[in-house]
Amino acid sequence: MTTEHMNEEHTAAAGADDVVLEVSGLSVTFPSDDGPLPAVREVSYELRRGEALGIVGESGSGKSVTSMAIMGLLPRNAKVEGSAKLLGQEIIGLSDKRISEVRGQKIAMIFQDPLTSLNPVYTIGYQIAEAVLAHRKVSKKAAMDRALELLEIVGIPSPEQRLRQYPHELSGGMRQRVVIAIAMANDPDVIIADEPTTALDVTVQAQVLEALQKARQETGAALVLITHDLGVVAGQVDRVGVMYAGRIVEMGAVEEVFYRPRMPYALGLLGSLPRLDGDRGDRLTPILGTPPSLRDLPEGCGFAPRCPMARDLCHQEEPRLALLETGDRQDAVEDGGSVEGTGPAHTAACHFSEELVGATAADLFRATSVDTEGVGSVAEVEAAESSVAGARGEYLDELGEEPGRAGSGTAEPKVLLTATDLVKNFPIRSKGLLRRRIGDVQAVSGISLDLRERETLALVGESGCGKSTTARLLLNLIKLTSGEVSYLGRPLHDLTDRRMRPLRKDLQLVFQDPFASLDPRMTVADIIAEPMRIHGSAHRDARKRVSELLELVGLNPEHGSRYPHEFSGGQRQRIGVARALSLNPRVLVLDEPVSALDVSIQAGVINLLEDLQDELGLSYLFVSHDLSVVKHIADRVAVMYLGKMVETATTDQLFSSPAHPYTQALISAIPLPDPVKERTRERITVTGDIPSPADPPSGCRFRTRCPKFANELSDAERAKCVEEPPELMDRGAGHRDACHYSKVIELI
Amino acid sequence: MLVYTMRRVLGAIPVLILASVLTFVMIDVSGDPLADVRMAQPPPSEEVLQQAEARLYLDRSMPERYWLWMTGIGGNGDIGLLQGEFGPSTQGPQYDIGTAIAERLWTTLRLVGAAMVFALGLAIVTGVISALRQYSKLDYTLTFIGFLALALPTFWFAGIMQAAGVKFNQLVGDQVFATIGDGRFRAQGEPLWDQFLNAFAHMALPTIVLMLISFASWSRYQRTSMLEVMNSDYVRLARAKGLRNHTVIRRHALRTALIPLTTVVAIGVAGVIDGAILTEVVFQWRGLGDFFITAVDNNDSFALMGWLLLSGVMVILANLVADLLYAVLDPRIRYE
Repeated sequence: MTTEHMNEEHTAAAGADDVVLEVSGLSVTFPSDDGPLPAVREVSYELRRGEALGIVGESGSGKSVTSMAIMGLLPRNAKVEGSAKLLGQEIIGLSDKRISEVRGQKIAMIFQDPLTSLNPVYTIGYQIAEAVLAHRKVSKKAAMDRALELLEIVGIPSPEQRLRQYPHELSGGMRQRVVIAIAMANDPDVIIADEPTTALDVTVQAQVLEALQKARQETGAALVLITHDLGVVAGQVDRVGVMYAGRIVEMGAVEEVFYRPRMPYALGLLGSLPRLDGDRGDRLTPILGTPPSLRDLPEGCGFAPRCPMARDLCHQEEPRLALLETGDRQDAVEDGGSVEGTGPAHTAACHFSEELVGATAADLFRATSVDTEGVGSVAEVEAAESSVAGARGEYLDELGEEPGRAGSGTAEPKVLLTATDLVKNFPIRSKGLLRRRIGDVQAVSGISLDLRERETLALVGESGCGKSTTARLLLNLIKLTSGEVSYLGRPLHDLTDRRMRPLRKDLQLVFQDPFASLDPRMTVADIIAEPMRIHGSAHRDARKRVSELLELVGLNPEHGSRYPHEFSGGQRQRIGVARALSLNPRVLVLDEPVSALDVSIQAGVINLLEDLQDELGLSYLFVSHDLSVVKHIADRVAVMYLGKMVETATTDQLFSSPAHPYTQALISAIPLPDPVKERTRERITVTGDIPSPADPPSGCRFRTRCPKFANELSDAERAKCVEEPPELMDRGAGHRDACHYSKVIELI
Repeated sequence: MLVYTMRRVLGAIPVLILASVLTFVMIDVSGDPLADVRMAQPPPSEEVLQQAEARLYLDRSMPERYWLWMTGIGGNGDIGLLQGEFGPSTQGPQYDIGTAIAERLWTTLRLVGAAMVFALGLAIVTGVISALRQYSKLDYTLTFIGFLALALPTFWFAGIMQAAGVKFNQLVGDQVFATIGDGRFRAQGEPLWDQFLNAFAHMALPTIVLMLISFASWSRYQRTSMLEVMNSDYVRLARAKGLRNHTVIRRHALRTALIPLTTVVAIGVAGVIDGAILTEVVFQWRGLGDFFITAVDNNDSFALMGWLLLSGVMVILANLVADLLYAVLDPRIRYE
């Protein structure tokens, strides 16, 4: 890439006809045994040179299928109609020979999962050079040189060495950067990135987004960024399109759509999002119901069945994506939005978008924890809510009979679960003849924590930090290497399975994956009743109890005879909660309970968990990687890194004044779903990947990635970080961090 | 890799020992090697019987005999696996089991080898075609043929093929297919072309019979494996780079889809050896299959032990080769 080339790009950008990709009336239908599935319906958009367009939507909204159709990567049986013009050339329906000249050369793509997008049997260098050689008649040597250059651009350390390595030798973040290098190999005009950071940890996500921006600068390519993460969109794109049930339902400048959404779905999506810049007390407003099945789309507006303002017209006629009268432009300027003169057109597909001027999510959507399937009409929701309240009342009455349970504690809340110096090592065996133990994966190294009554303690950290292992140790599901766990003063860690069983009633678990955690061959009623059966407390009124529990978690109690596959992800997670509650536990360990759910559904489950805690007096140990959710639900937070606790504080303390550099980096890496804030906020970035827990760095485990260590400290100060592992030190008011040089800063 | 190979070879020893103990016991309790002699008319004298028992070591206890079979210590020099002797045969003192196995090994290996090579080649080709043309008429046809092949019992199909070969020869009026015997000594010293024709005539039908079942299951496997790879992200990325379809299929899809097949083929070796017994019997080859049947007929326990040990070693070797091949094919697998 030369400067000359860059200038050329810029001149082109200034030209009048600067549309690089024009999609019009694009529809994709998949044949199936039950009739055609319209995955994408009449999608149209234009992409200008150098522009970044975001496409957001929940799973199944057709956002990925659209881009695959443009790339011609859909399976043979997919029926693609409409047009996509790349630099004026129609690219839908091209022959293999013609489309392969376009792909990689003019339009490139980045896929979601970096772990599977590189071929495991070829070296990194080979795979990048292959992309160069596909379009340029250069020697293999020259292609390898280009590959090296590309690896440097995307910021991969020691690139010469990496060229000769295989994909499995690189971390996920590195591999995604290799994929970005492949995408930019031939200076394409358009790069489509399909959820490029979804599979990555937040700190790595920040690095990959940076590499993506670098790639755009270098190539001048326009970007289509497909994602479900509204925060990522807010920070990365100029314009955004919202997709629902295969259609674009709203499109406009990112500030317009985020600050002044004019389609109820977009509004609801923003309202259901737990925000890092929101308050803990704020109630989320879920969108009730589930996205329609593509097999039988509703007549009229696809969102009407879930829309609180749907009227007869909405059920009869599908609204067009219409240009809006932007009467609220003035406000935009006042809000600091970047509207100058005539910004990009703001369009929305809603019959009543006029009514949404100035509306907030809370005006429209109800902050409820129940789950209704049909129209989210107020009457129905209220009916469901009151019956839930009834069920909870009964439930509480029953609980009240148990001794020592009803009193909600007046003074200092009682400590239920205590862990002291928890250590868990997993042995690594040699591959030699004797398979001796040659080392340990130090998954958890000295974690201490207390869980108090009626409290939510969140355990946060990136993948591999040991948070799930800690949760399992607390439940005595795996044996600890050393340390102690006690419940109400009784040590748990040396109990046999048989002696542990009665205590398991009090300590229950909700899993991450609602699809894998329910036995598909059992009815929901059997699933919920199973813990009672195991503990011999399934009386003849077990059935009544099951329907109570279903009602308690906001589901229809008549659905107990159904099987798990008949429920959506959010409903299944509610079933998982009901099962955990069936034994009247006092502690629930929630291992990433909402991370597999779409945001509009997630909000309802979060509300449910909050309600249950308030009403049943539960204590939660909430394991999560998502700081926004944690900020919303937790009372206290413990941040983990490589098996160590680096900071622990109340939620307010932690988010308003984070002290440990890792916490600061973590908070700073979470994208805010607010375009202006997201682009102007201060960033603390960490470099590199998480080291292997089999061989953690000496001294402070974070020092290899620590921005403070790298940029601020003197050599003498660094020596302490290298030699001496920092202890958790109290900074007053229970705010503790493990850093020799911690300093509180404000980030949000 | 060397350490890994060593570990695998060492690990195979207890497996083989245990297998040999089990088979030894089972063979021992399943019949009396001298049953035929005892039933002979007129009945043999007590002295003759005792001599025969002594020659076959039947005068010793079962554990003693196993020990003897393994080590040869205390025997007459005609027994002891560790000394390279397979033991005396019921088929007469002149019959040396080791020599017989060695003689027949090549005949059988030739058949097994040819069948596996053709089965594998054909399986890969049809599997790939089926996958690339999924749900097409061609795919359905190949699938049908595959299941048909799976459903044909070897002994029955061998008989049919033999009859068909004879019919074909009659129609053509020439001996195109030899339907009896392995023809090993037929063309020795003849010109090369005649040797080839002779080998082809004898091998064609048995090879087809023997390869059919393996071909059917392997091609199904290859189809699935290919379909999986064709839907993988890295194949999509290869297309997105702008590679032509045929390059993507050859370089990215086929190359990786072949890796898991090595394991399946290695496991399949045992099945092919089984099939070889039946095929050899039908076509009257003097190979290891025939050796095995004769040994069973004669209650020849030491011959059976020799055969079982040999096929055990073959199966273990095939699996070891497959695992080592895996390391060559897949850079993610490394044996240190």
